[in-house]
Parts: sequence; structure tokens; C-alpha cells
Amino acid sequence: MQRREILKLLVGTATLPLLSSEALALFQSVHDELPPTAALKTLNPHQDATITAIAEWIIPETDTPGAKSVRVNEFIDLILTDWMDAEDKDKFLAGIADVDARCHKAFGKDFVDGSTSEQMQMLTALDEELTEFRQMESEAPSRRPKIKPDSEKPFFDGMKRLTLAGYFTSEVGAKQVLHFEIIPSQHIACAPLPEEAVK
Amino acid sequence: MYTKSTPAKTYDAIVIGSGMTGGWAAKELSEKGLETLVLEAGRAIEPVKDYTEHIPVWKKKFRDMGDRKRLEAEQPVQQTCNALDETNAKFFVKDKENPYTTEEGKPFLWIRGRHVGGRSVMWGRQSYRWSDLDFEANQKDGIAVDWPIRYQDIAPWYDYVEDFIGVSGQAEGLPQLPDGKFLPPMEMNCAELDVRDAVAKYFPGERKMTIGRAAVLTQPHRGRAACHYCGPCDHGCITKSYFSSLNSTLPAALATGKLTIRPNSVVHSLIFDSATRRVTGVRVIDAETHAAAEVHAKVVFLCASTLESTRILLNSATPEFPDGLANSSGQLGHNLMDHVMGGGASGRIPGHEDRRVLGRRPNGIYVPRFRNVSSKHPGFLRGYGFQGGAERAGWERGSGMAGFGAGFKKMLSKPGPWYFAFYGFGECLPNFENSAALDKDVKDSWGIPALRIRCNWRENERALLKDMSITAAEMLTAAGAEEINPFVEDNAPGLTIHEMGTARMGHDPKTSVLDSHNRAHDVKNLFVTDGACMVSSSCVNPSLTYMALTARACDFATAAMKKGEI
Repeated sequence: MQRREILKLLVGTATLPLLSSEALALFQSVHDELPPTAALKTLNPHQDATITAIAEWIIPETDTPGAKSVRVNEFIDLILTDWMDAEDKDKFLAGIADVDARCHKAFGKDFVDGSTSEQMQMLTALDEELTEFRQMESEAPSRRPKIKPDSEKPFFDGMKRLTLAGYFTSEVGAKQVLHFEIIPSQHIACAPLPEEAVK
Repeated sequence: MYTKSTPAKTYDAIVIGSGMTGGWAAKELSEKGLETLVLEAGRAIEPVKDYTEHIPVWKKKFRDMGDRKRLEAEQPVQQTCNALDETNAKFFVKDKENPYTTEEGKPFLWIRGRHVGGRSVMWGRQSYRWSDLDFEANQKDGIAVDWPIRYQDIAPWYDYVEDFIGVSGQAEGLPQLPDGKFLPPMEMNCAELDVRDAVAKYFPGERKMTIGRAAVLTQPHRGRAACHYCGPCDHGCITKSYFSSLNSTLPAALATGKLTIRPNSVVHSLIFDSATRRVTGVRVIDAETHAAAEVHAKVVFLCASTLESTRILLNSATPEFPDGLANSSGQLGHNLMDHVMGGGASGRIPGHEDRRVLGRRPNGIYVPRFRNVSSKHPGFLRGYGFQGGAERAGWERGSGMAGFGAGFKKMLSKPGPWYFAFYGFGECLPNFENSAALDKDVKDSWGIPALRIRCNWRENERALLKDMSITAAEMLTAAGAEEINPFVEDNAPGLTIHEMGTARMGHDPKTSVLDSHNRAHDVKNLFVTDGACMVSSSCVNPSLTYMALTARACDFATAAMKKGEI
């Protein structure tokens, strides 16, 4: 189908044209300039393996795919490479190294070499520390004895944010998990939530 | 008189600008039979290629986080507008090509679009009528000058414009926010209905919450399709379901066969003939080749946007008008206004866990002004309205929550609690010191002097902002909201993108630039019908009023031309 035909389909009638998936795909392909690439630009293989594993702990595969299969690692690499300032990127990479350092101290090996329970233990510690940091941060400055004035957000804060963003804005995350529709065609302001979603 | 490139043709009318008001001038003038030329500084837009509303987030390189490094380098001012993202940044100017200056400590954010359609492509679509509370305000308060018109002068033109563009909304019978010719209103969701009912119950006769009045079609209208609720209107709309000049007025104007649109035509200045005291045409610079040219017409409509229209007049000084064309009053460039926005409150609305919203409604709720309407407030003049609405929290909430793993994922896959926010927009008083002048040291990419903008909020605007946070919290409290969070933002003027004034209308040529029909007091074939003409700012969104004033001015101009007065 030529672009002109797509245009006709889209704008030719006064009522809402029901878009066929074929037409929609073609319409989108007009804009589709950025095919995903697997070549990482910032993360080395070990860093990549580490954040891939951590991301999968945050959003694991269940009845729907997890962070690893939607390639959240590639999204994080893109953000590190083309979006973050050099300083923030270095801090993030240092955060990955710090996870390994802590794993060595706790159980004598890198994060990726840890057993399921060792990795679980590290994730739990990282998440609890982040929660604690946030609680202190939300208190009045005068009542923050445990936070030094120059203390930074923990690595796990950025890691969690990027994992969630990378997952839920992926095609699988948006369509399969969140049931996002590009063209809803209607607005129902107080629709019932499907029962399985209420539980 | 010698001109370096005399064109073959003199048009009946030249319209400078193709956005909200330029589109209307093009339509009205060409439909009345005038050979009309629209000059647009920016490029042409090809909807099927340039509109990006159906590109899903996973097809965007930065997944809605924006191309941060490029934006900071090329569009540091434009990126402060929350409508801009990585696929519609092209609808906003490159800041380096389009410089302006401000004074230390007095930032002004000038958000601009240069392309056919202008900012009507990315606008917020909220469409409200002004009332006599607004048109009488300056006279009653003894501020600035009186509006030369009243509601009855513009009411038929509101009817006319609404009928053409299509405005969805709910009639409420409020004197301070006159009802229009509405298409069916959009629905409020469960949490919004709770708040609406509480406001009605606890603030009877004072406050009222209604659904936003938006230039978005809720049913097919004049050959344009009803909204399909995809969401990101500011990326374009291939079904033409929201109003923009590209979607609506320009196609109607082109259908007359009388209209020529000339993109990439940067206007340098107007040509004034001392003998006849009329403008005879426009000096144009080609945006791409930088070649200079002149085009001529019997009447000129300036619709280039508030500050651009004033800049063109300032840059068109003549021996008769050394301080800018049509500026015998000395008022040109002064009394710049913008709505003061960002006082309000948010809160969590309990319940309705078994309900959700289907579709992305391109509209919110509105609380019309209630301060200084029927009683006088001791702390400030004028008032403000609230926009806002409720939605269920999405997956983003997970970033701030404890947890990970299968349970965490399942929780984020479902919608979170309902949150409601009121966000205030307040009236800005006209002040002579808030102004724009030519900065002789800085020129844009086409060699045209840039503007030096001096503008800051004053005591009255700050008092409004503070009151917004209090009254918003009161309403949320009445609605039984939890986690109520009142806020007062510190937004620079300009960011509301409701900049107004600098070539105000008025009865007296000694104190105003334009007459009651938007015609320059000093130049009888020159009209300015965009936001520059505004005498006060009201607190409601101004675009509908700009459009009505433009249609009204075109009617006056064509009648005057027929009678041989122009």
C-alpha cells in the first residue's frame, strides 16, 4: 500500500476509520527509523551480565516475559551512552562495581556467580537501603543525622527506575502487560476493571 | 518609488502568520473573495509524515525520556515546555536561530513554533469565552486602559468560531464563563465525579467544577472525524479531530482558490508609504536562501503571535514613527502579560479500585474563577481558574516504592490509586514595565534584531498563586482526599504560553495602538489580531478570543474595503 492510500484510509471519512493492523503497521513504518541493535556501546560483557541479572530480579519472567527477554539491558546501555552526562554514567558504572565488591565481601564472588539465595540476599539489601535512604530524605534536613550532606542517591535507585522504564515502555511491557492500545477509539470514564486485575 | 524586486501581483490581503489567528484571517478574507497571501516564517508541514501521535513509546529511541543532550544543546528554552518530546520537538523553534534576551534574574520563557500551522499544532485546546467580568475589569479597577469592546460585541463571533472549530463542553449558566455552542461534553471519571459533587455540596453558589471545554470533536463535525482518544494531540492529528489551522481553517481557505500560502518567508518589516499613510506591503527574507523580496497588498493582517507581531512593528520604524510603526501612542511593546500558573494541590481519592478509564481523554476538568466574582477579596484583584483531573497511578509509581520480583511486577501491572490535582491559572495585571523592545546588539539567523524582554510577576500575581494552593486544598479536603499536597510552583513568565499585550486595543489613539476592530489607529489598512491586541489577560485561556477577534476584524476590514475606506 502506498503512503497516499494510507492517508486516504486515515483521513478520508468523517467517521472514525477503523484502522486495520496492516495499515497501522505501514503508517508506523513511515516513522520507524530506529531498529534496535544488540551492539552495546558502554557496558562491557561483565557489566551487561550484572545489570541484566539485576533487572530480571526486579521484573522477572512470570506468566509474561521478564526484563531480560525485552532487553532492558540494551535500553540501559542506550541511556548511559546517549542520554546521561559523563559524571552520572561513571557513577552508575561504579555502582555496578560496588555491587560486586559487596558480593565478594558477603560471599566471596561476583554477583553473577552468586547462588539464587545469595543474589536474592543482595537484592534485598539494596532495596532496603534505598527505602531507608528515601525515608531519611523525606524528613526535615535537621533530622537527617544518618545522611551526609553530600550523599548521593544509591545505585539501586537509578537501576530500578531504568529497569521499570525499560520494561514497561517496551512493546511487550506496554501491550502484553499493560494492555496499551494505540487507538482506543472510545473514552469510557468509569469502566469496570476486569476482575482478575482487581485481585 | 523604486523597489528592488517588484512583484507581478498586488494581493488584496497579506496575512503574516499561519497559526491560530493567521488561519482564521486566511479563511475569512479568502472566503469573502479577497486574493490572499499567507506568509509563514517556517516550513510546510506534511501531516502523514510530520504528525507523530500514533508512534508508540517503544518506537521512540528514548522511550519518552526525550533526547536530552540534543535538547539541551539546541532547544534549551523550548524543552521547558512540557508538550515537547522527542518526536514533536520539530514543531518548536531552534533557540540558537531565534535568540532573544532578558535581564539578569528576570527569565522569560518564549515557547515558539515556526511552521505552517504555528502553535495551533501543539496548543492545549482549552476553549473558554471571556465575559464582561473581564472586559470591564480595567475600567472598574482603574488599571491600564478600558477595553473598547464588551461581551455583546464579541458574543456573535464566539458563536461563529465555535460553530466552525467544534468545542466540546457542558453548559453551566455561569455569568463569569459564558456558555458556548457546545458539542457533547466528555465524561468525568469516578474520582473526578467525587470531587465535583463535594465542591457542589460544600461550596454552593461559589465554586463549581465542570468538564473542560476543549476544541476536540466528540462527534463528527464539518467533515472532520470524532476523537479516537489516542492521547498525544500535541503531536498532530491525522483524523483532524482537534482544531488547528492545519486541520481546519487553512484547508477551508485553500478551498476558495483565493489563497496562496508561502512557507519559509520570514517577515523583516512592513513597507509604509508616507504619502498615503498606508502600508503597501511586506519585506520578506527567504528562510532558506536568505534572499530578500517584497510583496504587496491593499491590507495587511499581522497574526504572527503576540511578540513576533510587535517585533515586526518595532522593526518597521519610519521617520514618522521612529519608535516603531503605528506607535504614536508609545504603547507598542508595553504591557506584556502571561497567565501566572502553578498554584494548586494534589491528593489521593480513596475507593473506586474496581474502576478504570478506557481511552486517553485529551481534556481535563475546569473550575471557573470564583474569587472577586460576587464578593471582593481583600488580598488581591481579579482571580484564577483551575484545570486538572484525576487518574490512576501507573507503573511509574514503582520507582518510588519498595519491592522487587514477581509480586512487585504484578502490582505494577495493575493501575494504582486514584490521584487528583487542581492546577491554577491566574490573571496577570497589565503593567507598562513588562515590555519588549528591539535589542540592537543581537540578531536572529536572518539578520533581524532580536527582542529584549523585560517581564516579571508582581505582588498581585504572587498572591493569586498562594491562594490557589489554599483553595485547591480546601476542595480536596471536602472531597475526602488523603495525602493532600498543596504546592506553589515558581514558573517564569512565558511558560504558560498565553503571552498577551504589547499592542493593545483602546478607544484613545494617545494611549493605545489598535482600535475597537484591531485596526492600527495610525495606519488604516493595518490590523493586528493575535494576542498582541489584548488589553487585560483574564484568567481563562485566550485562543478562542483571539480567533473571535480575528474573524470580527476580517468582517470589518472587508466591509471597509467594499466601501472604499481602505
